[in-house]
Amino acid sequence: MENLALSVKELNKYFYDPQTFHVLKDISFDIKKGEFLALTGKSGSGKSTLLYILSTMDTAYEGSLTINGTTLTGKAQNELAAFRNEHIGFVFQFHYLLPEFSALDNVMLPALKLEKKTMEEIEEKAMANLKLLGLEDQALKPANKLSGGQQQRVAIARALINEPTIIMGDEPTGNLDSKNTQIVFDIFRELAVERGQTIIAVTHDDDFAANCDRVLELMDGKLIHQ
Amino acid sequence: MIVNKTNYKIANAHLTSRLKQTLVAILSVTFGISMYIFMNSFMTGVNDTQTGLAFSTLAHIRIYNDIPKDNTNLFASRVDKNTLVNIRNPKVIQYTEGIKNSDKILNLLDSVPEISGVTPQLNINVFFRNGATKVNGMLSGIDVVNEDQLFGTAQYVVEGDWMDLNRRSDGILLGSGLAKKLSLHLNDNVVVTTEEGITKNYKVIGIVETTLASVDNAKAYIRIGFARQLISKNMGYVTDIQVNLKDYNKTVELSERLGKMTPYKVEPWQEANGQLEAANKLRNIIAVAVSLTILIVAGFGIYNIMNMTVNEKIREIAILKAMGFDGKDIIQIFLTQSVIIGILGGVVGIILGYLVSLLVNHIPFKIASLETLPITYRTKDYIMAFVFGLITTFVAGYLPSRKASQVDPVEIIRG
Repeated sequence: MENLALSVKELNKYFYDPQTFHVLKDISFDIKKGEFLALTGKSGSGKSTLLYILSTMDTAYEGSLTINGTTLTGKAQNELAAFRNEHIGFVFQFHYLLPEFSALDNVMLPALKLEKKTMEEIEEKAMANLKLLGLEDQALKPANKLSGGQQQRVAIARALINEPTIIMGDEPTGNLDSKNTQIVFDIFRELAVERGQTIIAVTHDDDFAANCDRVLELMDGKLIHQ
Repeated sequence: MIVNKTNYKIANAHLTSRLKQTLVAILSVTFGISMYIFMNSFMTGVNDTQTGLAFSTLAHIRIYNDIPKDNTNLFASRVDKNTLVNIRNPKVIQYTEGIKNSDKILNLLDSVPEISGVTPQLNINVFFRNGATKVNGMLSGIDVVNEDQLFGTAQYVVEGDWMDLNRRSDGILLGSGLAKKLSLHLNDNVVVTTEEGITKNYKVIGIVETTLASVDNAKAYIRIGFARQLISKNMGYVTDIQVNLKDYNKTVELSERLGKMTPYKVEPWQEANGQLEAANKLRNIIAVAVSLTILIVAGFGIYNIMNMTVNEKIREIAILKAMGFDGKDIIQIFLTQSVIIGILGGVVGIILGYLVSLLVNHIPFKIASLETLPITYRTKDYIMAFVFGLITTFVAGYLPSRKASQVDPVEIIRG
């Protein structure tokens, strides 16, 4: 148990609009700490839906979700927000940075919300993360002045700031060219190996999936490969 | 609510990144608040002028001997309902006119701290005659010093000198219209005839022009002592005692108290001039209604702009929530924006409101005794405007903020 980053039991999810649709069917799996995992499947297979349930943002499901030994099913929205802030980092297909803020400010935001470190420590840490991603010279540029690949790397730096146990990505490379895809993939690999952070990425890039430690494949809401 | 630094920083970034929209929102608050201030200052100014004008001839309280009320059935209180009473052609044989011993009441009034001034008057209906011209009017015997203190009559004397009344026993001051009707000028003679047929010759030592037709066309002033001589009354005799208070809004309550202490009729100005009070109140209602409407419209403006901001930033809201910002944080972020807009708009609005009032106060308006449009500057109006402005922006900002806090990040991020 100690070694489990995430555990899902008998997960079921329905969409009710426009008509009742069984999206996820009896899904159960465990993910170990430090695993680099890809979630694949055809579009409509429910892989993104599953990721958003794992992310704690979607709470309308049946079954149970445990992250880091904490059962999150049935918790209030504000508790979940605080939990996400500390334990989960996000990288999305579209980078979603705050355009008015500099790259550095964007990276610092989740840590400022967490309020566990001083301003100086946070800034230092954010700078270190940007450096790790090769963006130290872009730190003070407004986010909307960066290129797509740079923005995605800033988003990753932001996802790392609170040293979360799990980093989740929804098509983190879906919007990038092959060179930037390779950079992002290498960063993920490094994080998993060197820092023992768990990475779950939804992708339909077969090369990306093939290089992961483990692939979960969904088809019509059922887990067909794990 | 203490705003967390990070939330404040985000709010600030939102405000400064759309400077134009922010300015429009601030301007709408500014406009609402300055209009509120201006409307209220103007209406209060009008009310004060109106009241001031009215009080140039009208005292706050008038004490006089009312004619006996209902004399048609003197037995009413003596017999029961089952007894039929038949009285034909009743006449009052004798009742006291005026106030015989005014000193007693004047002394009593002196001891009331709320009173700022008292003056006795002896008003007589007379005919003014100059040759063949005969005009019906009112001769007012007055206490020269106190009358001026209460009504400021001396400032309306356009020819001659008010204080001359104290110096000449045959001196009379005429209303300007009255003098014109009688073709009289300064130092001319005028004949006054009382109801009892007593006639006396006076010398015109001054002309009074108050711009109030009721005074100018029909009133003349002499010293109260000489008025008593004219109608052969004793030293203490007066027809009216005029009383002014420090605060003319407290008349009703004081009148009731005084009424219990004297046998005479104590009449507050509101009773004799209901229309004046009604007009004041109506103007206040209009001022409040109009200015609140403007503020509400400003509120809708802010609501609109904040709603747009929320829609525009909906992806950012979703990402903030994904990063762990909770509903409270989101409300703070957007509410901070509207409160900042409210405070900035409020401060600028107060300044603008003052400037607009100042400007209007300089617009010439030469009617009656006015020189310019009247404005009354009251701190209360400024504070109220600011408070109402803040409440409006708070409410107008809260609704979109709440909507923002309820954004479902999954729905937005998944698209």
